[in-house]
Amino acid sequence: MSASAGEPSGSDAGVIAAAPPSRGARGIWTFLLRLGTALAIPVIGFGLLWATFDFLRDEDANRFLVVGVAIVVGVGGVFFLYWAMNRLVDLFPARYREGVRPYVFVGPALVILGVFLVYPVINTLLISLKDSRSESFVGLENFSFVFTDESMLRAIRNTLGWIIVVPLFAVSIGLIFATLADRLRRGEAAAKSLIFLPMAISFAGAAITWRLIYSFRPTGFGSNIGLLNGVMLGLGQDPIPWLQEQPWNNLLLMVIMVWMQTGFAMVVLSAAIKAIPDEIIEAARIDGASEMQVFRRIIVPSILPTIVVVATYMVINALKVFDIVFVMGSAETNHTEVIAERMIDWFFIANHDGRGAAIAVVLFFAIIPVMIWNVRRFREQEMIR
Amino acid sequence: MSAQTVSADDIAAARKADEALGTRKGGWVVRITIIAIVILWLIPTIGVLITSFRPEGLVDTTGWWTVFARPFQAASWTLENYRLALDTAGFGNAFMNSLAVTIPSTVIPITIAAFAAYAFSWMEFRGRYVLFVIVVGLMVVPIQMTLIPLLRLFNNGATLGGLIVFPDLDLNGTFLGIWLAHAGFGLPLAIYLLRSYIGSLPSSIIESAKIDGADHFTIFWRLVIPLSVPALAAFAIFQYLWVWNDLLVAYVFLGGTSETRVLTIALAGLVGQQGENWHLLTAAAFISMLLPLIVFFSLQKYFVRGLTAGAVKG
Amino acid sequence: MRRLRLIVPIAVMMLIAAACAGDEGGDGGGAEQEEDTGSVNVLNATSAEESEVLQNLVDELITPNVEYQAEMEYSDQFEEQIQIRSEAGTLDVILLPQPGAVADQAASGNAISLEDLGFDIAQLEETFGEYFLSLGEFEGEHYGLPTNSNYKSLIWYPKEAFDAAGYQIPTTFDELIALSDQIVADGGTPWCVGFESDTATGWPATDWVEDIMLATAGQDVYTQWVNHEIPFNDESVVNAVSMFGDVMFAEGYVLGGADQTPAIAFGDAPLPMFEDPPQCWLHRQATFINAFFPEGTEYGVDYDAFPFPAIDQQGALFAGELAVTFRNSPEVVDFLERFSGVEVQCAMGGDPGLSRLSPNIEVGADCYANPVLADASVQLSAALSGEGEAGFDASDQMPPEVGSGSFWTGMVEYMQQGPDSLQGILDEIEASWPTE
Repeated sequence: MSASAGEPSGSDAGVIAAAPPSRGARGIWTFLLRLGTALAIPVIGFGLLWATFDFLRDEDANRFLVVGVAIVVGVGGVFFLYWAMNRLVDLFPARYREGVRPYVFVGPALVILGVFLVYPVINTLLISLKDSRSESFVGLENFSFVFTDESMLRAIRNTLGWIIVVPLFAVSIGLIFATLADRLRRGEAAAKSLIFLPMAISFAGAAITWRLIYSFRPTGFGSNIGLLNGVMLGLGQDPIPWLQEQPWNNLLLMVIMVWMQTGFAMVVLSAAIKAIPDEIIEAARIDGASEMQVFRRIIVPSILPTIVVVATYMVINALKVFDIVFVMGSAETNHTEVIAERMIDWFFIANHDGRGAAIAVVLFFAIIPVMIWNVRRFREQEMIR
Repeated sequence: MSAQTVSADDIAAARKADEALGTRKGGWVVRITIIAIVILWLIPTIGVLITSFRPEGLVDTTGWWTVFARPFQAASWTLENYRLALDTAGFGNAFMNSLAVTIPSTVIPITIAAFAAYAFSWMEFRGRYVLFVIVVGLMVVPIQMTLIPLLRLFNNGATLGGLIVFPDLDLNGTFLGIWLAHAGFGLPLAIYLLRSYIGSLPSSIIESAKIDGADHFTIFWRLVIPLSVPALAAFAIFQYLWVWNDLLVAYVFLGGTSETRVLTIALAGLVGQQGENWHLLTAAAFISMLLPLIVFFSLQKYFVRGLTAGAVKG
Repeated sequence: MRRLRLIVPIAVMMLIAAACAGDEGGDGGGAEQEEDTGSVNVLNATSAEESEVLQNLVDELITPNVEYQAEMEYSDQFEEQIQIRSEAGTLDVILLPQPGAVADQAASGNAISLEDLGFDIAQLEETFGEYFLSLGEFEGEHYGLPTNSNYKSLIWYPKEAFDAAGYQIPTTFDELIALSDQIVADGGTPWCVGFESDTATGWPATDWVEDIMLATAGQDVYTQWVNHEIPFNDESVVNAVSMFGDVMFAEGYVLGGADQTPAIAFGDAPLPMFEDPPQCWLHRQATFINAFFPEGTEYGVDYDAFPFPAIDQQGALFAGELAVTFRNSPEVVDFLERFSGVEVQCAMGGDPGLSRLSPNIEVGADCYANPVLADASVQLSAALSGEGEAGFDASDQMPPEVGSGSFWTGMVEYMQQGPDSLQGILDEIEASWPTE
């Protein structure tokens, strides 16, 4: 795949761009014929696509067949869609072509996002101004609840901790690990896989995993099956109800997320490190740079954009965390509430749609600073290239 | 750091310092740090692994680490948990459903996101910044908040002043519905990751391709995609895992009946009413981890150094 | 140019629309009968195992006699599922453990009343007792059909050691306190208490309060309390909670002390009772708790249970589930009749894999394979038919903000902060009651 990538100016590429609209009667017929085929191909293509989709909707169909067709349609069909649309654009008058083409590229993404995310967000904004059954408007009442309720304020405070601690540790451990693993003579794949392992575990699995660490039973109520209390007993201490110890229980929950997410940071950062051309690093080494210098002066600056991306993603994920808090005991009695957990609690458990939605809106707004930072980086990147 | 001013002695001195510190390739600092982090990361997983092979009665009464005291006692080990977990009604069907959901739900957003990321990086169009910011900002939308409006939309469509804005698609319980849903939820991160990668490709190669007469589609398909394989693979792994382990979206868009349920839903049924059955859950966790790990290993080869560097030079 | 740019998204939308226009989905609601779809879906929050056992019973006793298929669907994300699927119109029947939620479903306009389904309410009141049926009432119509219950007013004790020590089963609350003092004097610890239950931590404490509330204030005041016709910091409630506190905070009464109780899993709580000698002697918990007892222990031999004793009168606290219907069609009605009927309910009692106590008064004690349930069924049937002060778990009836929120957390705080915090905590719970 990579071998041919170096020569993009293949013959077929030249043809598409070079063909000028020909004049004369023959030219018109050719043009119409081309237009006809160009229109027919997408139409037939779409027809076929939807026929297969219809097949895939059939719940009784053989699963092997469904999987097979699904893969073909998923891979081929989507690519075909773009190819066909791109051909369609080629038929446009030349002066419109390049104005329209970008929208062919981003259009499908925007349509899907519009339906699956933007529309629900607008809906949530509306609900946040309504009462518990989203029947009548109540103004900003839900928001005044959000910023006065004791448990909500705790949630905001805790979330702040999450978005600082989790990205900090997950990204730095991931970065250190990716850099060091890159230098292993052998066993890099194995080492990376082991850090990655927690990402592959299902959520129910992860919850059990950490109960086997934090579980607590007071003296007299059976033996402790949590590792931490096993260690405490081994040291001759009394067992500790870890998840009830405020405010440290918040940190113990963050550990779970760091454990799960470091693998992601490591994989992405490792890919970025691999993309740094060997020559640059070797040149620096030959120039006598120590490994620390190579790391600080070459690796980190080269992958800084990736670090920003990973950190942004981690911040957003930490902002959205709820399941870890939800399954590791009662957030309200342990004072481990976080914003997203409150949202779920109010929306689904307490059935107060308005408050749930208002809390979600707070989440949307909390992301703005991160976005501003990203736009700045986006612009910088374009400036320097 | 410039080659002219550095003597051979300097180089030797720096090398020596590195060797003393053990930070050279394969040095002891490297190895010890790696081993320490790996062990730390493995402890919880080992706990689960051991528990999954322990009999039900022992799981709840003794700590999993106690097996190390008597590792060869036959009574402290069992395969029964795996047998019971695999015995879950409709396991095979659920496994196939999971595949039918996961593979397209991974491929579709990658393709769509790659096109969009290319446009955001290398095409000029109005509203580029604003659209990109909105796309990335959408990462923060909690999926749970989208479900109810989406279901309403899918079941009843949407009308505005008598005009059909969104048709009644009846997508519930269809694979198409869940693919599109997963694509939608995965797109912001995919576009964000891929734009960051594609945007950082050297502009010189794109420009020279343009001069050679290649149009955007060709540049994208013949040049950018091959160069972006590590980023594509990284996102593929991530989206694959997310979809494979997802419970909520599958529940909502496919349902939990024995016909349509995916593996996570089938295995979640092993949880007892009060969250007991740890012995079964740990076994189930390992069963459902198997395929994602195979995927990870098979995609690892795309992270090999040189693949991208070589291509950039060309 | 601008207009041209719009073409792409619009074209895509139209294609999607055209491709999907063929199918039409219908959703339910309303009083008119709908067509027979040949299947009934029953969403429940029991447990995967229980749901499977129920499915087997349904397959065995209902399916052979009818034209439709009934599927029991267990969901561990029950609340989310109900909300989401009622929007999607894909709910047939749900088994709701919270009567408060029944009213919610009725108010949302999605649930269909038993009257509209064609049930004879007077007859149902005879079968399930007026009180239980009234719990599913909303604006004069009934929306909940009782299908299961569990009995909560029980105190468990280690029978063998208890008898050997010469202790007597108390019949009044004063005798219970005297027994506790006696145990302390003998060098033991009377009570084993644990309130930890993940997200629901605190519920066993609310059961304590509810038991005392029924036995002191009686069913009428209890119902007023549940419906917020008296405030949560009313004198009667203060009295009940402080009586609960008297037991929890008394010196030497509770193993590990009251402040530890929110950290002890409710399932682990009774275990010290089975040590030799028993580390504690009394444990107040519902019928299902013996599933958590050590393997090999036997009811009536190793352990036994007596009813929570009378204070001012005898109370009987229970909980259970109500079937709420979302689709009015003949097969759904037929299923409900069969599922709540004597034959199926009695068979549920006979299945050793289930711990379901039938709310159907006509189901006799001889139906039950489990002697705990057989004994409890006698007490429950008596209570449901109007004997004594029956009460359905208050926290399951109150609005979720209170019943699965501030009431639970309030009782946990009470345990942690001690007897003096009582008034402040009750004031806080009162303030959390939703105003609408």
